[in-house]
Amino acid sequence: MIRVVLPAHLRTLARVTGEVKLEVEGQVTQRSVLNALETCYPMLRGTIRDHVTQQRRPFVRFFACEEDLSHESPDAPLPDPVANGVEPLLVVGAIAGG
Amino acid sequence: MSSSSGPANLSKEEILRYSRHLIMPEVALEGQQRLKAARVLCIGAGGLGSPVALYLAAAGVGTLGLVDFDVVDYTNLQRQIIHTTGDVGRLKVESAAEKIKAINPFVHVRRFDTMLTSANALEIFRDFDIIADGTDNFATRYLVNDACVLSGKPSVYASVFRFEGQASVFATDGGPCYRCLYPEPPPPGMVPSCAEGGVLGVLPGLLGIIQATEVIKLILGSGETLIGRLLLVDALAMHFREVKLRKNPECPVCGANPTLTELIDYDQFCGTRGEESAAATAVPEIEPEELKRRLDSGEDIFLLDVREPHEYQICNLSGHLIPLGDLPQRVHELDSSREIVAHCKSGARSAKAVEFLRGIGFRYVKNLAGGITAWADRIDQTVPKY
Repeated sequence: MIRVVLPAHLRTLARVTGEVKLEVEGQVTQRSVLNALETCYPMLRGTIRDHVTQQRRPFVRFFACEEDLSHESPDAPLPDPVANGVEPLLVVGAIAGG
Repeated sequence: MSSSSGPANLSKEEILRYSRHLIMPEVALEGQQRLKAARVLCIGAGGLGSPVALYLAAAGVGTLGLVDFDVVDYTNLQRQIIHTTGDVGRLKVESAAEKIKAINPFVHVRRFDTMLTSANALEIFRDFDIIADGTDNFATRYLVNDACVLSGKPSVYASVFRFEGQASVFATDGGPCYRCLYPEPPPPGMVPSCAEGGVLGVLPGLLGIIQATEVIKLILGSGETLIGRLLLVDALAMHFREVKLRKNPECPVCGANPTLTELIDYDQFCGTRGEESAAATAVPEIEPEELKRRLDSGEDIFLLDVREPHEYQICNLSGHLIPLGDLPQRVHELDSSREIVAHCKSGARSAKAVEFLRGIGFRYVKNLAGGITAWADRIDQTVPKY
């Protein structure tokens, strides 16, 4: 079970509270996790990755185990603690409230 | 201790006032003198700016600048603790300056009752050492960041939304800047503001105090600041997470070969210029006065409320509630042969609803201009505003 933490506005969009838990087939990578996420929550398509290019949008970043994974290859394996469900993949989005 | 070794610029009253600092070796007399000599600019005297300014004043920061063009309103009081009920209607910089002086008359307050712009930012920043970014919109976030990088001044950053906050220290030598983290802002409307999505009142307090702490550490030159780290706060789960940030060598403003060497048009960069008017004019609208007249004359108009159920509980016009996100699944509840007026809080969400409905063939659907807020302002003042 893969754990994903979404920004508040995307949780609202997906109508979920707290962490999202996903079953991911095969190797656990950014791409496979996001594919699983968008399959479960189609309304998130285009919000984290560009609709067309599937590239991470520039106001969103990926972190796990305190490290910034945003510039890792989408097909690179995610750290073992994420793949094992010990640590979540953090999808962090820009917010501007003050 | 002789007066020439440092205490000369702290009066007897100040030594008493700061005694809990002075007895800590990490601050001591030298640190307190640094605090007194420091000049910190607070961008925004709102949710974040309130605790930042109050605590920095109490801590003895010698010069505090406040930039805010806004006036205090009732919706601010749930979190902007530097302002009181009696301050409603007053300029925020005036209200805040008064409280700062009440807390610590030794602080020199500089008020900037103006909107921070590309034209004035570098000039305003010139007389300050550290910038505390407590603004409430993306355009000013990027403006503050770029002005900090260009003027070589650290930006102590925090932002909040609903139950979550982020904090870091940007634009220091060798450290990342805000653009390294987020090279581009979200498209307008994608990430709601606190006015649209709400914010837990204590959250800017929590994040603002973290900002004030970072400012003090930068002044003292001690401790480990949030340079190169992003603190993620989830107040609902009470999780504090920390992640590492790296400087982007290709950052257009702080990278090795910067392409952004002067301040730009940040409304254009963030796509926010004309956002309201574009949203308002993109779909057919009806003014509240016309809707009122037509309802009173008994015309058959179907009111569609696309807000969330918890908003409907606050106030409503007895419309049919279908939250915007549910509209595609519940469109069968609507009769396309009837005239429909959609509304939300201020008109932005209902404009999307009208656009969607017209796109699938609803011909007689209009947006209530200004939403239920305009109705409360102009038609029925008994309707609560939120």
